[in-house]
Amino acid sequence: MIKQLSTITLAAVAMVTFSACAGDKSAETKTYSKTTAEVYQQSCIKCHGADGAGKAEKKTPKLNDRTAGELEQDLFDVKNGGTNQSSGTEHEIMEHNMQKLIDKGYDYDVKAMAEYMYGTFKK
Amino acid sequence: MNKNELLEEVLKEVDKHPEIMSRREAFKYLTMSPLAASMLASATVGTATASASDAKGKIVIVGGGLAGMSTAARLTNSLSNPDITVIEPNPLSTSYQPGQTLVGGGIWPKSELVYQRDDFVPSGTKLIKGTVTAFDPDNNKVVVDGKEEVSYDQLIIATGLMLNFQAIKGLTGEITSCNPDNAEAKKTIGTDGVHSIYFQDGSEATWAGIEELIAKAKKWKEGEPKLQAVFTHPNTPIKCGGAPKKIMYLTHAQLEKAGVRDAVELTFYPNGGKMFGVTEYHEAIVEQFKARGFKWNYKHNLIEINKATKTATFNHHWTEKGEWDEDLEEYGVELKSKHVEVKYDFIHVTPPQKAPDVVAQSKIGSGKGWIPVKKETLQHVKYKNVFSLGDVVAVPMGKTGGSARKQYKVIVNNVISAMEGNQEAIDKTNAKYAGYTVCPLVTGIGTVMLAEFNWTKKPTPMVPLDPTQERWIWWLLKVYLLKPMTQYGMLSGRA
Repeated sequence: MIKQLSTITLAAVAMVTFSACAGDKSAETKTYSKTTAEVYQQSCIKCHGADGAGKAEKKTPKLNDRTAGELEQDLFDVKNGGTNQSSGTEHEIMEHNMQKLIDKGYDYDVKAMAEYMYGTFKK
Repeated sequence: MNKNELLEEVLKEVDKHPEIMSRREAFKYLTMSPLAASMLASATVGTATASASDAKGKIVIVGGGLAGMSTAARLTNSLSNPDITVIEPNPLSTSYQPGQTLVGGGIWPKSELVYQRDDFVPSGTKLIKGTVTAFDPDNNKVVVDGKEEVSYDQLIIATGLMLNFQAIKGLTGEITSCNPDNAEAKKTIGTDGVHSIYFQDGSEATWAGIEELIAKAKKWKEGEPKLQAVFTHPNTPIKCGGAPKKIMYLTHAQLEKAGVRDAVELTFYPNGGKMFGVTEYHEAIVEQFKARGFKWNYKHNLIEINKATKTATFNHHWTEKGEWDEDLEEYGVELKSKHVEVKYDFIHVTPPQKAPDVVAQSKIGSGKGWIPVKKETLQHVKYKNVFSLGDVVAVPMGKTGGSARKQYKVIVNNVISAMEGNQEAIDKTNAKYAGYTVCPLVTGIGTVMLAEFNWTKKPTPMVPLDPTQERWIWWLLKVYLLKPMTQYGMLSGRA
């Protein structure tokens, strides 16, 4: 094992490349016309309810059974159409609706919205 | 093999093809990178042992695959008094999984993949050769094989995931990628044209299956219906999201090499509606598919295989304009679906994948099974002394060795901070996991598109080259450099 460790040096060539990933380049600032609370109270609430329990007649899923982190990932999927290469998502209807809502100004930061929902549903 | 021999091997390969690239040029590509990158790399290699922490505590790591064992190694390097236990039942857990594509595609023999767990246990680490059968996070303990209780101060979960072949009617087995205990899956997979590179033995059988397809194709005559090669992609998150396509590219390349490409139609049936979450890579792949004469049918999820009639059944789903939705103030959409039967001569199955039941059904797991963590810190959302990484953790796009390589460094720092009682360091100052992953998409024998991205879904290439191009130099990286980096760099906690 120890002898084999010498290959690390060569692997370092590859590593130089692999360590250089862009890290936090993601921090594009985007401003939204409404706060997360406004978006939820004016739009989301119609189908998902004040407590996130969902509405049978709208066939909306329950959202108050998951953590803020899970909500964040679901919201990310809904806005971006899935993160896996070709797996698709479980949110096809909401993906369609979300694009319409964004056009109407109901856009939001997914992390802030996830935290808002998690905090509001818990009460 | 030492570094000079390995480098010599790469350069020898370069010398064979002076028409593609000179030795000098190859070397330039291999070492080219931004200055910051090389600084980061040297920091990554050097500092772990330089500043060993005196923090104390019993660390238990559930799972000794690439993620778990590398974490054990790096913790060993980083602590002056390490007390680490790894629980792992599979004697081949540290096998080189990224190579399964190359074995399935007839590039490597299976022997290139097989690595013994016991050769990679860091010095001083205790190994329990068993399976965790219960988690009890409220009392800081786990149960091994239904009887032995193991307590911990810090728990790291790296169980990996399950390949759920049996969820497809007609197939059997719920197995892991490199556990030789896979007889159940081999009852239905690996023969009669039904194949999967997702497990080690299956990858070897896949190459035999491609050779059978080539033999059949040699007997094919102009005017006869073409032989059908079908490639699937399920509706769950999967390990190495590129593999379902890589094996298709390699099948194509081998058919071409044998001079029988015209006899076979290759079709991709993914559950999703696109090739890749990152638009730039999606578009590049569509062009690559067109150039190779591939067909593809989106929104088809494999649900059944009938081996007797060589028929695969897919659930094809789509949306149609629905009724006026007053809440949305727009027309809504409705989901539609129907079953579609497809005849195959060769089918590559990418199985649905899930967290192990013991995780999913415990207090540690989430509704969907995967372990919920704060995605930047990899700390469990409820239990502050529980961390998770690798295929079992609920982070987007995280199920690759490249992701694990980023995650395990974050975990080691955070576990040490947790042992030091410094939650603030975990939340604020320690390096965060940025969601980076890499997919060296093998697009042929000798070409790779190095798709790098993070969860902002933008390409994040580390060298100033168009990342959507297929390049031979990345093939050399995939075939010659990634394995030593993984097996000797990462598994020793240093890369």
